[in-house]
Amino acid sequence: MNDPFIRLDDLAIGYQGQPVLSALSLTVVRGSFTAILGANGSGKSTLLKTILGLIPPIGGHIHLPANPPAVFGYVPQATDFDPLYLLTGRDVALMGVYGRVKLGRPIPPRERAFVTECLRATGAEEFARQQFAELSGGQKQRILIARALATRPDALVLDEPTAGVDAAATQALLAFISQLHEERKLTILLVTHDLPLVRQHAQQVIWLHQGQVLTGTVANVLTPERMAEIFDIEIG
Amino acid sequence: METLRQVLSPDFLLRNSVYTSVLIGFACPLVGMFLVLRRLVFMGVALPQISSTGVAVALSVPLWLGIMQPEHAAHSEHLLAFVGSTAFSLAAILVLAFLDRRRRGLPEGRLGSAYVVAAALSILLLSKNRYAEVGWLDLMKGEVITIDNVDLILTAAALAVVVIALALFHRELLLVSFDRAMAITLGKDVVTWDVLLYVLIGLTVSMAVLSVGPLIAFGFLLVPPLTAHLFAANMRQFTIFASVLGGIASFVGFCIAYRFDLPVGPAEVVLLGLIYAAAFGLRKLVRRKAR
Repeated sequence: MNDPFIRLDDLAIGYQGQPVLSALSLTVVRGSFTAILGANGSGKSTLLKTILGLIPPIGGHIHLPANPPAVFGYVPQATDFDPLYLLTGRDVALMGVYGRVKLGRPIPPRERAFVTECLRATGAEEFARQQFAELSGGQKQRILIARALATRPDALVLDEPTAGVDAAATQALLAFISQLHEERKLTILLVTHDLPLVRQHAQQVIWLHQGQVLTGTVANVLTPERMAEIFDIEIG
Repeated sequence: METLRQVLSPDFLLRNSVYTSVLIGFACPLVGMFLVLRRLVFMGVALPQISSTGVAVALSVPLWLGIMQPEHAAHSEHLLAFVGSTAFSLAAILVLAFLDRRRRGLPEGRLGSAYVVAAALSILLLSKNRYAEVGWLDLMKGEVITIDNVDLILTAAALAVVVIALALFHRELLLVSFDRAMAITLGKDVVTWDVLLYVLIGLTVSMAVLSVGPLIAFGFLLVPPLTAHLFAANMRQFTIFASVLGGIASFVGFCIAYRFDLPVGPAEVVLLGLIYAAAFGLRKLVRRKAR
């Protein structure tokens, strides 16, 4: 039940040798829903990218399952993509299976069918034939989640998936991620600013604040006293 | 019609030049579309110029060093030019792409400086080498030179390698260009794919510069993809439209230049520019009517 999935051991993260966070040691349990919170520039996205191998760590170690290697379904921010690419939502979702298709070979029909299933599961099938660049923020996120699911991941890693998404779509998106977490027993790692959503859906919290890291369950970390301390306010 | 009949005749003196020009017209947009998608349009302008500087260096240095006498240079001129052009193209694209990836300095500043320094260096080198100057100036003006069968076969073979590699690895090259982070999480070696793409671009540019000159090379790298992007609905259409437009514009431009005794390169590039302007206007019209 408490099988560690990601273990950070005295990790230092940052860019070009300049640490944003250091002495980071924590464990993310397999099958947990973990939210990474913090102000802008606190290192949330840097931590996520370091875990994914997009940025090398400055020091310390990241322990991930090696046999079989962990598969991460990465969901970047929908605004990260250049609208010049003439790709439909389905084209983008198909990228999720590229890791399993041999070089120079066409995508097998069974993989195409699997992508259709993923699009259906995320409620993105009806707009998947439209240009990705022309979709709304919420629709893009659903396509990107379908793409992440198409990788057959052990963990879904979402970098502010609700940025630029309206309130109703945000609620729907997080409810859907929670549903995926419960039904597929996926480990979820979610970067967000949205405290109410974290309270509602996450089990574990990693809070990055002025170079310090608070970890624990939602009930332990998001207490009024802790919040007052972090936001430097007095409780009446 | 008479011009068309002459140009298509098997006895046409500039037959190989037409074939080469059309091959370049088809192939350049295929790599140029990656420059457009990666927003490296200025690279498409600087690279052919740097490549032609490679030609100038290759033609000048052996004569200065006394390794080769001008009267013997003609035999090895094309090989030297090929080596110089390819070496400069590949080195430039790899260095510029590396700096771009590292986000060092202002990208436009780097490319603009590379372009202007390369152009000035070519002129300096050739001002001291009357022999090389004549051939290089023809290349700069886009004058079609007679191309022998061996050169035609070499050009066709090099471009075939580029087209086959692009067809085989299109998926990976597109993924690495569109979403680098996703490519890394899927275990793709993004540096290798970047290097492959840059080698293909460098090879195409150097073949184009050698055959038709830098003016046509950057015209065909950029204008057909920009035009095709106005109408294409997906990446497949984008690829096909850009390549076909490049090939057809190259052939029609050649015929126009031959008919009116104009330099081929400028005629082809102006034709491409007119097509781009017409396509832009047409799209605006279509969109206005659709509202």
